[in-house]
Amino acid sequence: MTDMKHTDMEEINIATDVLVLGGGLTGIKAASEIAGSGYKVILVEKDAELGSQKGPESLVGLKEELEALQDLESKITADSNVEILTQASLVSAAGVTGDFTVRLSKGKEVIEHKVGAIVVATDFATAALHENYGLSPADNVLAQSQMAELLASEAGKGKLANKTVAFLVGLAQDGNPLVMERVLKSVLALQEIDGCVAYIYAGDLKVASDGLERMYMESREKGAVYFKLTEKPEIVENGKTISFFDSVARRNIEISPDVIVVEEELRADDLNEEIAEILRINVGPSGFLQSDNAHFFPVRSNREGIFVAGSTREISGLPSAWTDVENIAVEVKDLLGDGKKSVAKNKAVVNEDKCVICLTCYRCCPHGAIYWGDKKAIISPVACQGCGICASECPMDAIQIGGFNDEEITEKVKSGVVSGNGTPRLLAFCCQNSAFEAGEMADMFNMQLPEGLRMIKVPCAGKIDLDYILNAFVSGADGILVMACYPGNCKSENGNTFAQWRVNDAYRMMEEVGLEKDRLCFVGTASNMGSGFSSIVVDMEKRINELGLSPLK
Amino acid sequence: MSTKNKKVMVVGGGIAGLTAAWELSRFNIDVELIEKTPFLGGYAIQYCCKATDECRQCGACTVEAMLKNVVDEPKIKVHLSTEVEKINNSGRISVDLKKSSYRPDSATEGVIRGYSKNNSPLHVIVDKEKCEENPDAVPEGAVELDTMGFSGKLDVDAVILASGFQPFDAEQKGTYGYKKFPNVVTGMDLERIIRENATVVRPSDGKTAQKIAFIQCVGSRDESLGNLWCSQVCCPYALRMAERIKHKNADAEISVFYMDIQNVGKDYAGFYEKCKTDFRFVRNIPVDVFPMENDSLSMRYMNEEDGLCINEEFDLLVLSVGITPGPDNSDLSGIFDVGLNEDGFFAGMDKLNSTSTLKGGIFLAGTVAGPKDIAASMAHAGQAASEVIKHLGVS
Repeated sequence: MTDMKHTDMEEINIATDVLVLGGGLTGIKAASEIAGSGYKVILVEKDAELGSQKGPESLVGLKEELEALQDLESKITADSNVEILTQASLVSAAGVTGDFTVRLSKGKEVIEHKVGAIVVATDFATAALHENYGLSPADNVLAQSQMAELLASEAGKGKLANKTVAFLVGLAQDGNPLVMERVLKSVLALQEIDGCVAYIYAGDLKVASDGLERMYMESREKGAVYFKLTEKPEIVENGKTISFFDSVARRNIEISPDVIVVEEELRADDLNEEIAEILRINVGPSGFLQSDNAHFFPVRSNREGIFVAGSTREISGLPSAWTDVENIAVEVKDLLGDGKKSVAKNKAVVNEDKCVICLTCYRCCPHGAIYWGDKKAIISPVACQGCGICASECPMDAIQIGGFNDEEITEKVKSGVVSGNGTPRLLAFCCQNSAFEAGEMADMFNMQLPEGLRMIKVPCAGKIDLDYILNAFVSGADGILVMACYPGNCKSENGNTFAQWRVNDAYRMMEEVGLEKDRLCFVGTASNMGSGFSSIVVDMEKRINELGLSPLK
Repeated sequence: MSTKNKKVMVVGGGIAGLTAAWELSRFNIDVELIEKTPFLGGYAIQYCCKATDECRQCGACTVEAMLKNVVDEPKIKVHLSTEVEKINNSGRISVDLKKSSYRPDSATEGVIRGYSKNNSPLHVIVDKEKCEENPDAVPEGAVELDTMGFSGKLDVDAVILASGFQPFDAEQKGTYGYKKFPNVVTGMDLERIIRENATVVRPSDGKTAQKIAFIQCVGSRDESLGNLWCSQVCCPYALRMAERIKHKNADAEISVFYMDIQNVGKDYAGFYEKCKTDFRFVRNIPVDVFPMENDSLSMRYMNEEDGLCINEEFDLLVLSVGITPGPDNSDLSGIFDVGLNEDGFFAGMDKLNSTSTLKGGIFLAGTVAGPKDIAASMAHAGQAASEVIKHLGVS
């Protein structure tokens, strides 16, 4: 999305079928919601079974929800708008939003589909952390999932009567609220069984999720004993005894449990990496499929029309996965509409006479919005976000961005450095998403700003061409600021990195012609920090005053 | 899409309300956005950027962007300084609105200022007399609070309650000396200090604070108060602001007093490791704070290793206050006939659908339904918008 104003619009037809990858609980819900909005859904699952067969253990204590899910599952199975492909996988995906061509393999068959949007809804994987505690799996040493499974059946519960159970959590890894929730649910379920006693050896209690503090308090009131430690306790003979030194009581505390339950790490699905590669979406921290970028939260990826839900993007319990799915339902509806879309003709225009199809633009576009035809690169007006990185990287200068074409910006540079009353002429190239907003805020709130400062708005710092910087110096700028979003905050992922590289190129050229490096400054800013903007530009003016006016004048 | 004449009221102009309003407007739904204070943006618009040399994903800047979306969107009609008086729920929901009784704390010069350039109006006159004494201090275009607000009846098809939260009142924890000792501030105060000055100064003398202590869980996870919830935002904001302070001033000595550190952001493990090298973590919640002659603070706490009491001096004490139920929750609960949960937040229909309520046509978004950070509030508002769209039969 962009807030640029375009007047020259055209209507195009787009595909409205939607591909959902992952037939777990999140994927089923996504298929149901999207089909409910009237779109045809292809639901792809690698295993033979869907949904509730796959992970009931995460639902301990959520009996009603489990039933609701089973309803949902039978609903989509009966829905003619949902095509379910089990034991199937994504082979390739070409094209852009509104016009993806995906190939799916099922057995020996390969099925091709046109889809307008893609939803990735993989589940998390679990890995028990026995080794981190020096334990090996045994009848008395269970992983958290195994304990949940026992608690899910009457027979399993019977086996736990009169047992002393010790849980280990948060001492092998930091964990998260969902790891904690799984432990707390098991503890509370154990407390319903005759004669069960629970001890919990814990690092930081991760209770930052609705209801967990109350569950923790309730389990304590019912007799669960929590030992909050900073180091792992000593465990001998594969769990025969557990002990640690209590620094306040100044004594060793030793327990001989009947059963030890080892925490599990919740990880990104193994499939994620492959899916990311096929869909050309960025992988974030720990293998989850969303960059750590606040502008993408909750459900957007770096590519328009590809959405990420639940544990695909971060460890999620069902409530937050549901929240994601509802957000995706809204996004999909907004994107696909009734299959007709009004798009700006001049968002990014490739000049056929100049383009040599070198594919620089295809490679640098962070949004996967560019493909190519016989004569030139083609920029999808639906997928393009208008950042202009391609325009500045194009070695042939073949691309112009609507509202920010090179001629207009060159003109603004020239008029911005028209000399005033001897104060330094400062030009600030400002990303419209951060620095430009901050600069206007500083102005509006009467914060200190240099008299000779002029802001030039760009759609993204990635649009700041090396030529802009050099021309500005030639035109008489005494100092230039390239003001980008902070690393990790660029709506186009790496527009700020491109800007940084170009500033580094400019430094090399300035050195060659003997222009002081201090006349050019690359800096991160945030849209809500008028005060930060003010202090940056005031400092810059001070430095320029020390250097004197530009020798190029 | 047949959305003709569908109209939704959103109660509350904080980040959840703004997001819900904007999401609905994308589907051609008319939105009446009601805000009891004279400004949009709620608490979230007052937060500072917490980037060091990189973004820390606090989301404060996304609030700016959403506020801009809303003020630029003609389908959203904003009613500032307005609150709900009563409703009549037969067929469409008929809502009686009245001028808000909300009055901001008195401001110097009698004028208060919005937090964003997108706030409109930007300046509001709350004390006419003060302004008449010093007319030069009144910015052009300032609007008198008394002239603001809407009273009358609006008929809508659904209502989203997004009236937000209330930061815990730190004065309730009397031994910390909040509002008694100038250099004891809350996390909210520190957000504003950084937002306005881009740097951290001691309120008593304007000097850079060198030795800073953060106390976590002030008003959260507190049995004595009956606040049996984790506020979910305080570890993130405290650690992010502490990192920002350390980045700007490498000599700053920062201590964090805590019970259990909660995760911060997606790349939590890496971030926490960095925090552990930059700050001292003390697993103990201090009890007493005493003022010193130089306006510094002496704080007493128990050392975990030997169980002995220590007195330590700090320049600045930051109380990481949590999220408590909004001040109007019980009134709104009565007006809209939607129940509150045992903690005093609004109760959703069930665990998986916390935006719908048992009352048809009334939905919840954001911290009105429990603690949330900015990203979670926005996601919750998106979910609420989705449920409203389904409810209205918009397809």
